[in-house]
Amino acid sequence: MAIIKATKTPARPEPLSETSVLGWLRKNLFSSAFNTVLTVFTIYVIYLTVSGVYVWGYADATFVAETRRECYGNSLTGACWAGVIDWLDNIFYGRYPRDELWRINFGGLLLAFWMAPLWIARAKGKVLVGASVVVFYPFLAGYLFSGGDKGLFMQVMVSGAIVAFVINMANAIVGILKQESIAQFIIKRLGQANKADKKQRNLLIGLVAVGFGAAYLWQSSWTVEFVTWTKWGGLFLTLVISGIGIASALPGGIILALGRRSKLPVLRVLSTGFIEIFRSVPLITVLFMATTMFPLFMREGFVLNNLVLVIIAVVLFNACYMAETVRAGLQAIPKGQAEGAHTIGLGYWGTMGLIIMPQALKHMIPNIVGSFIGLLKDTTLVSIIGLFDILGMLRSISKDVPWLGLHKEPLIFGAILFFIICFAMSKYSRHLEVKLSAGSNH
Amino acid sequence: MSNAQEKGQLASAISSEVMIEVSKMNKWYGSFHVLKDIDLTVHKGERIVVCGPSGSGKSTLIRCINALEEHQEGDIIVDGIKLGKNLKNLDHIRTEVGMVFQNFNLFPHLTILENLTLGPIWVRKMGKAEAIETAMMYLERVKIPEQADKYPGQMSGGQQQRVAIARSLCMSPKIMLFDEPTSALDPEMIKEVLDTMVDLAETGMTMIVVTHEMGFAKTIADEVIFMDEGDIVERNKPEAFFGNPEHERTQKFLSQIL
Ligand SMILES: Nc1ncnc2c1ncn2[C@@H]1O[C@H](COP(=O)(O)OP(=O)(O)O)[C@@H](O)[C@H]1O
Ligand SMILES: [Mg+2]
Repeated sequence: MAIIKATKTPARPEPLSETSVLGWLRKNLFSSAFNTVLTVFTIYVIYLTVSGVYVWGYADATFVAETRRECYGNSLTGACWAGVIDWLDNIFYGRYPRDELWRINFGGLLLAFWMAPLWIARAKGKVLVGASVVVFYPFLAGYLFSGGDKGLFMQVMVSGAIVAFVINMANAIVGILKQESIAQFIIKRLGQANKADKKQRNLLIGLVAVGFGAAYLWQSSWTVEFVTWTKWGGLFLTLVISGIGIASALPGGIILALGRRSKLPVLRVLSTGFIEIFRSVPLITVLFMATTMFPLFMREGFVLNNLVLVIIAVVLFNACYMAETVRAGLQAIPKGQAEGAHTIGLGYWGTMGLIIMPQALKHMIPNIVGSFIGLLKDTTLVSIIGLFDILGMLRSISKDVPWLGLHKEPLIFGAILFFIICFAMSKYSRHLEVKLSAGSNH
Repeated sequence: MSNAQEKGQLASAISSEVMIEVSKMNKWYGSFHVLKDIDLTVHKGERIVVCGPSGSGKSTLIRCINALEEHQEGDIIVDGIKLGKNLKNLDHIRTEVGMVFQNFNLFPHLTILENLTLGPIWVRKMGKAEAIETAMMYLERVKIPEQADKYPGQMSGGQQQRVAIARSLCMSPKIMLFDEPTSALDPEMIKEVLDTMVDLAETGMTMIVVTHEMGFAKTIADEVIFMDEGDIVERNKPEAFFGNPEHERTQKFLSQIL
């Protein structure tokens, strides 16, 4: 074969289109006459839209006014945000007593602090933190929000929640400072590190019991005023319903999915039937059934309030959808994984909990978050059956005498709010996905 | 260890104690008769190599012994326990019998060390420190202690298979089953895995190995079994098996692979 090149070819810098803005523009936006026309036209449309929105929504808009008439007096071509601003408290909290709003804010803050360790790399025991949120927080928040007399059960759960919260916070702080769990820290501090596992465990259980006693005594010294559920509303109610839905849809979905894959025919048929029935009916139908039909089947005098019925319906409905997501995730795990687990003697639950489920959940994250976003948005359907969630509140602005007929602005405000929440969720799920796959794609 | 005998390159220490007793065992997949009237006795310390054409039922046989598959007729008695519907027995058997697969079946979401300590901690209820110590000991033995914190996906096939062997050994099994442990490996990695298995054989472990590595079979096997279409056709000492196969099907098979 003949020599084709006797000397080395020197490297040249990349073409203009790869570096400069101008090059990029030319390559992507103005590469041909048609492309140029398209670009110019698109820019024009974008300009029209943005300038229109700007003038209506900001430049000509009225932010301070007492009534809708006053808005019109100010400007006919601008938005009347004054109505939305006037109703902000209602939009966020419904008709919750204004003096008691701190309870809702405090509840939200508690949740934020409770979950924060999940995002702190150095904090230990993330699974326990997650589990404690699901198990205890609902009771503490439930009591905070509804108030009244605590029954014995509530007293126990509230005390448990307080203890769990305090341990969680201490654990996070110790984790940040020393990168160890609170249990390790205490054991070391008390000089018990060399003692048998059992002794250490008993010691810790003892400490928790003492903490529980203290919390029990403390919480029995105060109560908060009763607020009936009909006063709950706005974004708060939406978040309560969808929060409970989100927290229980995944566990419920896992149980149903496992039931559907079970070797026991009865369990399998029951789960499959349950899933298929709920999945073939629209949520709004399920909600109507829950609030109008269900009470008919109950004994006289057995009244469950509508909120509870709605929450049960939302939970069941979403658990069934989640079950299918989980099932798909489980199917993606090769059979060899279960066999590998069996050969080291893990039983059914060990295999599921330690081997199959952790891998499956990782695959399912995008779908799970997708369902959560759907759930949040679907929750607004409860306004149709007469609950004043955020959509219900936004729509009642137009029925309020000073703001009669004000439809557009509240709904646009709601849309922006939902967009922010949902967009944040989906961005976060992308981030999780990348992070988790970076952790396993070795 | 009474009738220890010297044979081949490797001393064997077969006891008279029976570890696995399969009698008149039959298995069907649907209407397909996979295993036909299987009789097989394996003594403690005995090392059996199983070979035969693809689809002859080798995997199915050892999977039945490990209770990964159910058999329909006949008995399988492992370490004195009869396999059947009793789930408690099954769990017990699985902790006594280690198994190594063609595709390793390591847990990709756990580090090597976690792969190894999972069984001891959750099944044997061993303390964490002790479990880690045991795991490191076995990693030394398969010669990859420095990889303990890696994930399976970061290792070569040969290393993964050695981890899989170590994972089984951490449960201190009485019997080890191998299902074509080297057939998914690149040629240059086969030797390291076979060496590990020879080391294991030297410790007196009871082993059933499905493999077509005939050199390996000659080194470690006390007996070689040939299977074809669900039958155990021939069982013999390695010298006799390879030097002078009796059955025509065995001769044909050996002529194909040697
Ligand atoms: N789960 C199964 N369902 C149905 N047929 C199977 C299954 N597993 C294996 N078989 C069939 O059983 C026969 C024996 O399989 P196997 O024991 O894997 O053979 P070998 O390991 O000797 O290659 C093959 O014909 C195979 O197609
Ligand atoms: Mg096979």
